[in-house]
Amino acid sequence: MNRAHDMRLPLDDRLRIERTLWTLDSHLDDLPFRIKRARRREMRATLYAAAADVGTAEAVRRLGDLTTLAADYLAAEYGDRGPRPSYTMGAVWLITVHVVAGLVTEAGTAAFTAGVLAAEPRATGDFRWSGVPWFIDEATITLRGGEETAAVGGAWAPLVYLISVAALVVGGRLWRLLPWWRRRHAAAPHG
Amino acid sequence: MPSTQDAQLLKGVLSLLLLRLVAERESYGYELVQRLRGIGLSGITDGTVYPALARLEREGRVATRLAESRSGPARKYYRPTGDGYRALTEGADGWLRLAGVVTPVLSPPVPDEPAPPAEEG
Repeated sequence: MNRAHDMRLPLDDRLRIERTLWTLDSHLDDLPFRIKRARRREMRATLYAAAADVGTAEAVRRLGDLTTLAADYLAAEYGDRGPRPSYTMGAVWLITVHVVAGLVTEAGTAAFTAGVLAAEPRATGDFRWSGVPWFIDEATITLRGGEETAAVGGAWAPLVYLISVAALVVGGRLWRLLPWWRRRHAAAPHG
Repeated sequence: MPSTQDAQLLKGVLSLLLLRLVAERESYGYELVQRLRGIGLSGITDGTVYPALARLEREGRVATRLAESRSGPARKYYRPTGDGYRALTEGADGWLRLAGVVTPVLSPPVPDEPAPPAEEG
């Protein structure tokens, strides 16, 4: 983007164009990032050219309904098969849930141990942490002279695994594999 | 604005027109909209043309390059690829054949009343 040249349009016109691009962008989340960025750049250049010709308001109006435009872009990219699942995004969300659950487990046991040691710096024995209801099972931390020697328990509850599966499905949009969804998308009108 | 039927007809032939225009002269998106309006498609909307260009690009029928512009951001110029030229040739032949069949049927004035069935005539 050549920002020096953008100064030829008044600020409110540039803001209007950016708002239009942002709105269109928000409907193009199904496009791969590289393609989405290319479309945005092209549309920006096009809107600037049109705005210089017929004014910004008319340039934006001539795009028509942005939802329809975005649907046509998606149809242009994916054809009649419709958008596909994103296994990468599904994996990212799955890993994110596991990392967060792991951090909560570590932080919980560390905080519990720190609390025990704050009360008795040379604590010795087995100490039971009750975990996080519904998420993390109870754990037993063994201390010898204020040093942690073992930790047992603290497993993730089934709800964590359910959330993992939900994150995989929602993040990866796996419902696009379902035959009824593909049929419905294939039946939708394309430009 | 064209009627809905006209718009549907246009969508069917828009890719062909775009390939033809960029075969004549490398152009960017808005320029193509203007050129389409210039040949008489005054009701065509920008939002119809850009996805059609995106489709041609995905299908490998046009190649693109970015070029600096004096009046705004860099513009994306389109030109046909080898596949694009082939699609243009085949599409144009198909269109002209179809038009050759359809035009003689549709060109004469519509009669006020249909003729009686052949066996009664």
